[in-house]
Amino acid sequence: MQTIPIATAEADMVLARDVRSPANPDGPPLCGAGVVLTQAMITRLRNLGITTLSVKKGSPLMEEDTRLDERLAALDRRFKRVAHDPLMLVLKEIHRSRILRDMGEADGR
Amino acid sequence: MEDKRSKVRSIIKSTQSLPAIPGIIAKLNSLSADKKASIHDMARIVSSDQGLCARTLRLVNSPSYGFSRVSTITNAMILLGVDVVASLCLSSSIFQIMETSVLGLWEHSLGAGTASTIIARKLGLSECAEISTAALLHDIGKIIIKSNFEDDYKQILAMVTTREISFSEAELELLGADHAELGGWLATSWLLPEKLIEPIICHHEVHKSSAHQTKTAVVHLADVLIKASGFGLSGDEYVPQIHPMAWQKLEMNERLLDEIVEELEEKLIEVKNFSMEIQASHGH
Repeated sequence: MQTIPIATAEADMVLARDVRSPANPDGPPLCGAGVVLTQAMITRLRNLGITTLSVKKGSPLMEEDTRLDERLAALDRRFKRVAHDPLMLVLKEIHRSRILRDMGEADGR
Repeated sequence: MEDKRSKVRSIIKSTQSLPAIPGIIAKLNSLSADKKASIHDMARIVSSDQGLCARTLRLVNSPSYGFSRVSTITNAMILLGVDVVASLCLSSSIFQIMETSVLGLWEHSLGAGTASTIIARKLGLSECAEISTAALLHDIGKIIIKSNFEDDYKQILAMVTTREISFSEAELELLGADHAELGGWLATSWLLPEKLIEPIICHHEVHKSSAHQTKTAVVHLADVLIKASGFGLSGDEYVPQIHPMAWQKLEMNERLLDEIVEELEEKLIEVKNFSMEIQASHGH
């Protein structure tokens, strides 16, 4: 599963989670998990103020930059200048675990 | 070097070369000094310029603030305060440049605004909206360099790439001042409130802040966190060191840091969507 900006949603993507109205999050879902999106549905959800969607893995658009080794290498580059600092290492570790968790979830489905 | 610095400073201080203060803002400033003027009177002035009104409301409704939906300038003024809305009106021309020509920096700024809202709410701070506004504006100095000193901007980027130094280090070497100081000069010449100026000037040097240490500390931490996320592009990719004074001032701890990063990462997908929709509306 990945959460994506609705601007990148495409027809034929499959919803991984129910979509709920931001104005009424406890109400019935606008669209249920498992539904295959159509362009008309995406437009309607956008008009209802939905900004993000959780979709099942398989969107070619989102996979390009999500390879594990690339994400970890980019993280190393960003922290290059503060790698000696204990607090900054804590922050880096938070991100590293997040990346590993994301990728793990993606592989598991 | 001192020559270059003085030259940059005088250009920023001369109003001809920069987005001019619209007449509306001057009116707004004089009205806000008048105690008898109502928020309604002031909102009517902004609303009389439809473009300005739309640009300002779009910023107020960006994920940087986390309001559910602000549809009128009157509401924006109640939520953010008159002087902050005036600052946003003033900056909206700068953001217009950003949205189209420096997309990475625009996303970095929106992300920093979002991060600062999350930090301020998590820590139960007051004046969240002012803090987010300061974070949205913290890198305006970079836009000034990009729009007024194009050759220097390119050279700074080249120095960052070839020598692996930070954007600020390259600026100091080339211009004798960095974007924080430049942004401060601009904000001062625009008569923005001190609570926005100080976080802009001190966002890398928290220890130099005085009257607005908490706001400055939040903007600094938000800048670090958004760079750690790798969201947007602020000129270099290096995550700066968290200033110990900011960490202490905000009474941060590792658990809080973890919760803030978690919340921020989820929110950034929304920010990305906001930015993409604006790009689409520009026809990119």
